[in-house]
Amino acid sequence: MKKTDELVGVADGVAAVPLGPSVHRIRPWPLGAALALTGAATALLLLTGTQWLSHPAVQAWRTVSLAITVQALPFLLLGTALSGAINAFVPADLFTRVLPKRPALAVPVAGAAGAILPGCECASVPVASSLIRRGVTPAAAFAFLLSAPAINPVVLTATAVAFPGSPAMVAARLLASLATAAVMGWLWLWLGREEWLRPLLRHRHTGHRHGHSRWTEFRLGFQHDFLHAGGFLVLGAMAAATFNVTVPGSVLDTFSGSPWLSVLFLAGLAVLLAVCSEADAFVAASLTGFSPTARLAFLVVGPMVDLKLIALQAGTFGRAFAWRFSTATTVVAVAASVLIGGALL
Amino acid sequence: MRRPVQTLLLALTGTGLLHVALFTDIYLRYVKAGLRPLLIVSGAVLLLLGLAAAATRGGGRHPSPDGPGHMHGSDSDHADGQARPHEHGHGLGHGHSHGYDHAHGHDHTGTPRVAWLLFVPALSLLWYAPPALGAYTAARANDKPVAVQKGFAPLPATSPVPLTLTDFTKRVQQDRSRAVKGRSVRLTGFVTPGGEDGAWYLTRIIFSCCAADSQTVKVRMYSTQTPPADTWLAVTGTWHPRGTLGTRTARAALDVRDTRPIARPVNAFTDDLPLTPS
Repeated sequence: MKKTDELVGVADGVAAVPLGPSVHRIRPWPLGAALALTGAATALLLLTGTQWLSHPAVQAWRTVSLAITVQALPFLLLGTALSGAINAFVPADLFTRVLPKRPALAVPVAGAAGAILPGCECASVPVASSLIRRGVTPAAAFAFLLSAPAINPVVLTATAVAFPGSPAMVAARLLASLATAAVMGWLWLWLGREEWLRPLLRHRHTGHRHGHSRWTEFRLGFQHDFLHAGGFLVLGAMAAATFNVTVPGSVLDTFSGSPWLSVLFLAGLAVLLAVCSEADAFVAASLTGFSPTARLAFLVVGPMVDLKLIALQAGTFGRAFAWRFSTATTVVAVAASVLIGGALL
Repeated sequence: MRRPVQTLLLALTGTGLLHVALFTDIYLRYVKAGLRPLLIVSGAVLLLLGLAAAATRGGGRHPSPDGPGHMHGSDSDHADGQARPHEHGHGLGHGHSHGYDHAHGHDHTGTPRVAWLLFVPALSLLWYAPPALGAYTAARANDKPVAVQKGFAPLPATSPVPLTLTDFTKRVQQDRSRAVKGRSVRLTGFVTPGGEDGAWYLTRIIFSCCAADSQTVKVRMYSTQTPPADTWLAVTGTWHPRGTLGTRTARAALDVRDTRPIARPVNAFTDDLPLTPS
């Protein structure tokens, strides 16, 4: 158990940096993260000179974090281009027309509809909020919010590439993510309260507006989503690389021994690492010591709950919503992974 | 993040990707070769996006309250406050601090500010590309599990026989016909010092997709002196007898007869025989 604490401490340290100075603000830590990281990096650089940069651990960290960023960039670009195109070219009322009138039915339909709006989880948060403002029942929008980053073709293709020869992993990810999204939607219908949501004052760039060129809207939405998600991608890559380089393989092995602990451990890791859903399959594939079910938990929890998503949701929907929703989602996602992973993997 | 900075960032990221994937082979240090077309397309798209943003900047810089210039603000969270700054700005409680300079972008939109971090990979790719993974990573990694192979074809008659590290390990531990016994083989990889009693390993790091999922294959080397870490070598030698050949007890190890330094192969991070740069 001692090693447990150390390991969590390492990941925690990475994640906790941005929460420090500006935790009381609504959208505090993208900026806090960027400032803290660059500040710490510059300070270290100045203190120790350039020799520090040529240490093999630092070199390996730079290589790994750059590698995660580089391999995820094409997927991220594709996702944001498609979501930008859908925002600009798909009629605004299409979603409300297509969805069933009864909320309990709309939830699974919206969850499945996540498959046709590919994008990173960061991109799905503004889309879900705009769906709510256009009259989609919040439960359906949340099912969509949870499923879209996990079950779209881009992510499933990436999963298939990362796990060559095990299509069961792709199927299990699809089913467990859909199940979690639907259960969370129904849970919101049953227990959810509107006042947890912040009054949605703001308009975003979702949807075409009259008098504006669709192409310009597309280009600007694309650019904005890419830069936004790209920044979070770099942050996630740095956190993942820190973990990758500092934690020796033997520590992972001590966890992988216990099936229950390893599921919880990887679920927690998914929250802390905050890897973009287009890239997380490759990270899961590298965790070779763990059981397939534990890796499935990593893949199911990651796109639904992680530190950058909690921050994004707190900013978009309100903090009262974000922490309740994230906690419940984690529990449901772990349960779904265990059940479906146990059956399929 | 201001709009000119965004433009610069897009162009830099695109140029960086094109630099490592199209004009050089640097991308092979980070990702598998199969991603090259995707990286080139991404680089081109980003560069075009940056150029398009730069080309249209002049037109939208001075918006009128109802003109097309609004779109410039539409990437911020305050798009509503911007669209009709005089009518709603104060009422919404967040538009009051923005005057007519919306189109120049706010630095507190919260959204693309995290994008500053993208400068790190963009600049790294262009001017300060980190080196390939090497002995440091290999020494700390667990060995990649070697797959079970049912049948083995007879070894080619050439001497020495070129083998990959994985193939050599399989021959030593699984080949019941003991074809490798007494044969001179040639293995390629880089040097990872082993620590105890001057031992060292010939190593390959294998990517399934990128450097983050790297796995390590090692073969123990027995020779009089240890070459410096991270040197790429072609090693000729015979199996170092330890354990029973053809069973799990056999150790993947080589009595080194001859070493020859080589350039890092183009396909350094695959488990294949080396393709040397021509």
